[in-house]
Amino acid sequence: MAVCIAVVAKENYPLYIRSVPSENELKFHYTVHTSLDVVEEKVSAVGKVLVDQRELYLGLLYPTEDYKVYGYVTNSKVKFVIVVESSNTSLRDNEIRSMFRKLHNSFTDVMCNPFYNPGDLIQSKAFDSVVSSMMVQAC
Amino acid sequence: MAQCLQSVQEFVQDSFVPMVAVLCSEYAEKVTRKNNLNFSELVRPFCRLTSEGHMRDPNNQIHVVKNLKISVSNVVTEPPHHATTRRLLNEVVSASQPAEGLVTNVITAGDYDLNISDGSLKASVPWYYSWKDTLMELSKSKFYTATTPWFEAYRENFLQSMPASDHEFLNHYLACMLVVTSHEASPVDQLFKLSQDQHRIQHGSEHAYPKWFIPNTLKYYVLLHDVSEGDEQRAESIYEDIKQRYGTQACYLLKINSRTSTLGPDEQIPDPWSQYLHRNNLQNQELPEEGSAVVVNNVENSMNASETDGLHLPAKDDVGRVNSDHPLQLDDPSNVATHMECIDDIKPPGTGPAVDIRKQPCAAPATHGACLTLGDHDRIRLFIQEFTFRGLLPHIEKNIRQLNDQRMSRKGISSSLISATKKWFGGGKVPEKSINELKNTSGLLYPPEAPELQIRKMADLCFLVQHYDLAYSYYHAAKKDFLSDQAMLYAAGALEMAAVSAFLQPGAPRPYPAHYMDTAIQTYRDVCKNMVMAERCALLSAEILKSQAKYSDAATLLIKMTSEDSDLRSALLLEQAAHCFINMRSPMVRKFAFHMILAGHRFSKAGQKRHALRCYCQAMQVYKGKGWSLAEDHINFTIGRQSFTLRQPENAVAAFRHILINDSKQAASQQGAFLREYLYVYKSVSQASTEGVLPQLPLPCIHSFATRVFFGHDRRLAEGEKQAASHVSLDQEYDRELSQQWRELEEQVVAIVNRGVLPAAFQPTLYCLSNQTDNMRFPLAVVEEPIIVEVVFRNPLKVPLILTGLSLLWKFSPKEPGQQRGGETDEVVSNEREVQASQGGLITTEVISEFHMSPEEKKVARLKLLPHQTGELHIRGVVYNLGAAPPPGDVLNSTVGTRVEGSIFSDGLFVRGRQDLEIQGPRLNNTKEEKTSVRHGPDRRLDPIITPPMPLLEVFFINFPTGLLCGEIRKAYVEFVNVSKVPLQGLRVVSKHPEFFTFGSHAAALTPLSPGASENCSAYKTVATGRASASSTLVAPADFGTGADGSRPGVVEIPLPDSTLQPGASVQLPMWLRGPDREGVHEINFLFYYESAEKKVSKMSHRVLRHTAIICASRSLSVRATACRSNTLPENSEDRNSGMLVFVDVENINTNEAGVREFHIVQVSSSSQHWKLHSCINSVEDKDSKLTSRERGKLCFRATKCRSAEATSDAVGKYTFADINLGNEQIISATTPCADFFFRRRHPLESKKPPMLGSAGFAPPAGHTAAEHLSNVVCRCSEVDLSIIVLWKAYVVEDNKQLILEGQLHVALQTIGREACSLTQKEEAEEMVLLKFKPDVPPPLAKPSVEQLSQLIKTNLHYPESYDHPFPQKSLCMVPVTLMLSNCSLAEVDVIIDLRHKATSPETLEVHGSFTWLGQTQYKLPLRAQEVRKLRLTACFIHAGVYNLGTPRVFAKLAEQGSMCEASRQSATPALIIINSV
Repeated sequence: MAVCIAVVAKENYPLYIRSVPSENELKFHYTVHTSLDVVEEKVSAVGKVLVDQRELYLGLLYPTEDYKVYGYVTNSKVKFVIVVESSNTSLRDNEIRSMFRKLHNSFTDVMCNPFYNPGDLIQSKAFDSVVSSMMVQAC
Repeated sequence: MAQCLQSVQEFVQDSFVPMVAVLCSEYAEKVTRKNNLNFSELVRPFCRLTSEGHMRDPNNQIHVVKNLKISVSNVVTEPPHHATTRRLLNEVVSASQPAEGLVTNVITAGDYDLNISDGSLKASVPWYYSWKDTLMELSKSKFYTATTPWFEAYRENFLQSMPASDHEFLNHYLACMLVVTSHEASPVDQLFKLSQDQHRIQHGSEHAYPKWFIPNTLKYYVLLHDVSEGDEQRAESIYEDIKQRYGTQACYLLKINSRTSTLGPDEQIPDPWSQYLHRNNLQNQELPEEGSAVVVNNVENSMNASETDGLHLPAKDDVGRVNSDHPLQLDDPSNVATHMECIDDIKPPGTGPAVDIRKQPCAAPATHGACLTLGDHDRIRLFIQEFTFRGLLPHIEKNIRQLNDQRMSRKGISSSLISATKKWFGGGKVPEKSINELKNTSGLLYPPEAPELQIRKMADLCFLVQHYDLAYSYYHAAKKDFLSDQAMLYAAGALEMAAVSAFLQPGAPRPYPAHYMDTAIQTYRDVCKNMVMAERCALLSAEILKSQAKYSDAATLLIKMTSEDSDLRSALLLEQAAHCFINMRSPMVRKFAFHMILAGHRFSKAGQKRHALRCYCQAMQVYKGKGWSLAEDHINFTIGRQSFTLRQPENAVAAFRHILINDSKQAASQQGAFLREYLYVYKSVSQASTEGVLPQLPLPCIHSFATRVFFGHDRRLAEGEKQAASHVSLDQEYDRELSQQWRELEEQVVAIVNRGVLPAAFQPTLYCLSNQTDNMRFPLAVVEEPIIVEVVFRNPLKVPLILTGLSLLWKFSPKEPGQQRGGETDEVVSNEREVQASQGGLITTEVISEFHMSPEEKKVARLKLLPHQTGELHIRGVVYNLGAAPPPGDVLNSTVGTRVEGSIFSDGLFVRGRQDLEIQGPRLNNTKEEKTSVRHGPDRRLDPIITPPMPLLEVFFINFPTGLLCGEIRKAYVEFVNVSKVPLQGLRVVSKHPEFFTFGSHAAALTPLSPGASENCSAYKTVATGRASASSTLVAPADFGTGADGSRPGVVEIPLPDSTLQPGASVQLPMWLRGPDREGVHEINFLFYYESAEKKVSKMSHRVLRHTAIICASRSLSVRATACRSNTLPENSEDRNSGMLVFVDVENINTNEAGVREFHIVQVSSSSQHWKLHSCINSVEDKDSKLTSRERGKLCFRATKCRSAEATSDAVGKYTFADINLGNEQIISATTPCADFFFRRRHPLESKKPPMLGSAGFAPPAGHTAAEHLSNVVCRCSEVDLSIIVLWKAYVVEDNKQLILEGQLHVALQTIGREACSLTQKEEAEEMVLLKFKPDVPPPLAKPSVEQLSQLIKTNLHYPESYDHPFPQKSLCMVPVTLMLSNCSLAEVDVIIDLRHKATSPETLEVHGSFTWLGQTQYKLPLRAQEVRKLRLTACFIHAGVYNLGTPRVFAKLAEQGSMCEASRQSATPALIIINSV
């Protein structure tokens, strides 16, 4: 399960970021922010090759000592970043993929909310609960 | 980007240079010391050879050695101390700082502005469209050289301080210079002694450390000759002696110190040593042991101290606010912050000679080479060249040959070499054994003469003389041997050098074997645990990779090299890695930033605070304003701290400010810590700067746009039963509609005061300025009247704040409007400098001593100023002490010891500062220019002009009710007080609801003036009379302040005695109120207007006072009245035709059954110009005029026309009031309250009235058509214009007390037959009006209908009710009947009377029997206006029975319009006659 889930706007500012355990919040912020470089690199590489434009899942962005960072970019260039612990070997690519899909669906729901102003921070409870269902339960 | 000033090749070459040792005699040392240099320092600037050298390789090929550099250093017998090296590197790095104050170049690219070059960007980079382009451009651009000099310095020193290792020979001494002087007693002996020393050092057992390349080291004998002292002859002879002894190739005579005189001030001698200066200091490895140990200790201690200071600052802050023992107090940080800079001055206690060496350059830094001329420089250069070409190179060449020969002689090894040379190009293909498989054999050491080492030695020699392809092949061979022997350290060294030499090969080189490097690094680090070697390897490799644009690999490599054991190295490498990221083809800005932060962190751990700060600042550029608030806060916080420890408190304050300003997502405790830190830093800044101008504070946020300004006193609203006028207060919200109403009222009254014209310069008086009001003009304030500014503060933090000593900042210039003070410039007074100093009685500034703000609270503060002089005031901002409130847990403590803790607070955590109030005006949108651009108008809310004193009125209401029944009359009192020192006049009041109140007429001043006396009195003036009496009075409406045309007075002049109100005087006036006609809550606005009695000196022409009364009206009675023509003409011929019946229906519609018991109709009065009530018809004695709940009563009155005599003689526009009282006392309706309200009543149909109403003449206006005329006549005929006033009393129980309330209701009767009601119909008001887009064609004037025409003539039959007739005797019965005709109209009417029966149904006639009219059957009579005529007729009956006499048909036509004859029949009522047969 993820330890940090972030949604980053097209303009690269955070729309939503949640992490567990919360005392490491700053570190995850840095991690997610830094991962955007890799996301951009990957996206631009895809753009050049024009292969499989539909693939939104970017796969493993980079591994750090303790964490693995996965990325996903929607068609509107909103980025999802999921950080999982390296020690967590039960998560396969497919699970990560489905997590992203779930996240994307929920995000779409948020966007469909007529009271949501695109570009604002996401404060939806439904989204929150979807995210927390994917997070490591903090003990 | 870390670009070297050298090229990569140069750098790598210079990393490995031939080492030459120096041994000096004592005298030689002395001679060189004259120049403040030792011998090795003396020659160092000349160690790079400018000319080419030549040598032959083992194959006898000529090899050119270009640009060779040698390293000359004193023999060091001790291996470098680890801590010393560390300290040296630390110092080198901290000494190399980015130049400050240079032009900073900001690269703006895409969404990032980066200034990463620290002032060494040489060209300003224009704007580029994308970041990528910029960097592409930049990396190509030659101008762009972002250097990190500290890193280069570090690297150079690191490489030079590498301890010599056994597995390689590169930094082993290749040669040794033995230096003596000519002055010595026997230089030759000395040389011999030195040579002995050298031999002992190299081969003796006690000196393990200085490593020597080759057993028979080249010895070079140098004879130093001091020209200034010695005898040249002697030197020459000694030199010859030496030459003979050691051979010409190995000897040199160096003459120096030619300068005899001291250096003249105007002489400029180049000082090539200066650039080596600090290195001389730092690299001096000859420190005696105890000295160095002490220095190191010192340094480490102070470093520890500084680290603790930096890192434990928050902890200490958290522990207590007591800062008396804080390590960062003012005297302390000077040591901490500057210890890096002044570390050179730290003198070890044990002062040895070597310490002096170290010290002297510092003491006299400018005196290097003071005794050397340019010729001496040349001589030294020549000497080095001679040494290299004559001594060193041949020596190396010889050794290479020797080694090669040795190698060739060894079979086994030669075969391996041959195989290696065969696989010249296939070297990479040999499968490398994995490191892990190898057993750890790093401990394996070859003996110095081992054949494997000979190859390595040969390779190193070749490498040093730049024969790289040969070196590569040897290294490659050696690597294989070492690997097969599992000698990992040796193998790693060979791999490393193989890779480097492969890179350095000229021509078309083989691809750089990066994997060699990787393996080498890994081996060094993991297998051999030799971090120093690994680091060297990584530095080389990274540099090479960078030169090949493999930034990503370089970055990975560098990041891998970071470890826990050295913070400095990790920091530098991380920084380099960050620079690599930004240099990538698609630059990774965020990675750059992140690694910069990591680097900054490591720098700060390493005590390199300046570098740490720089790193964080650079990273900040990426994070700034991108929404990553947590990261941003973290960076800002660190920057703030580092800046503070580096004594840049301004920057620290700015950084902390950022954390506090932004809406942070930090937890409350974190915010509290931030705040305390900020306050602490801020305080130290403000203590340091003694300038009077207070700095700006970031907290709390001020919503300056919402600032409101109020002019005037705080009013006390209620005082006993006195109720002050509500006026304006800051508590009211701005209401656009309401303010528009007030404005209209003010306009109305001002227009009336100015004789109907509104002055052009009129501006409504504004007492409260807010963002809704028009603030384009300077507001006016009156001297000695307070100005209250309401400032909206918002606490963005989750921790409470306390503001103390909160007051306004202002600037005041005493200017007399209109008066020019000749020559004297207006001095501007301000309280910005020091609040107390300049007050000078000009303006009293109120100070709010404490202002608490809860977390995330929005709160307003009202700050008061009291001007004492006229002039211009500018309110600039607020000044206050900001402090963090104690956390909730401390509250108890603070309540116990408020005094004690309070004082601590004020000393410690409170800082004084200001915030400006800057209000942007509204956006202008009038002209085209303003529309296309964004412009803002001025907002002068805070710049009032203080005007001379004006009167100030206060109004109090006494007995003012809040609830009234509809139509209820209540008497109240108003008190006017002039609280100013200026008399007041022209008091007026204006209201939109003049029907609500009256001050009484001029005529009636009979009422008692004190409110106390009138408590139980009726509001009305009464006269006791008998029951049901009627009386009438004639009254002119002008007496009641009403225009003759019945227009309602909007503006009422208040009858002040003497029409002025002296200062301090007060007047009480009675006031009557009448409940509004409609139920519900009514807000009634009064605007009191007054002027100064003095001549106008002020800009203010008048002042106003507002009052809003809120009245709750509840339903009382509903009165409906109808008037109808009475058909019976009274016998009394005087009022013949003017009779009218008025029916008044009164219904109790009060819903409050418990409160209001019953209503009594006390009196019904009429008021009209033409009519009056005459008598009550249904005054049945038993029927009381009481109405309990929901009861309805009917009253019937007869009304008559007023006597024409009365109407004409007195005044035309006068009204007749007629009272018919139903009780015992008569209320004189013609006097004050009743008549006042009558005249002030609402005229519901006023606007609909035809214009010819009233007393205007009858003559039809010219141009009117006949039809119009006709209809007019007809209308006028049915016009009544009678107002009924129903006066009632209500018995109300309230609080178990019975009260009697009085009231009056008005009904205006307009037309005969139409019902009028006291309540205006709501439906009418709410009726929707269709929008009309084109004017309607006026409806054609309808001809007056038959009905209407019939109204013109009133007919009446007079006959006996029953008539006895003896039919048997006389069969014909004749009855006289009188037909009375009266003309109701004012026009002449022709009447035609037709007596013939209508022959509609002859049968009916026959059945019922009929009668006939005798005589003339048709009459035509002209009737003058209002004429009554009798017509005698005779009816003839033949049977007894009941007959209807109402058969005559009457036709009326207006006399003047002959053709428009219309029939009218008036026989609605049957006129029955009974004929009896007797």
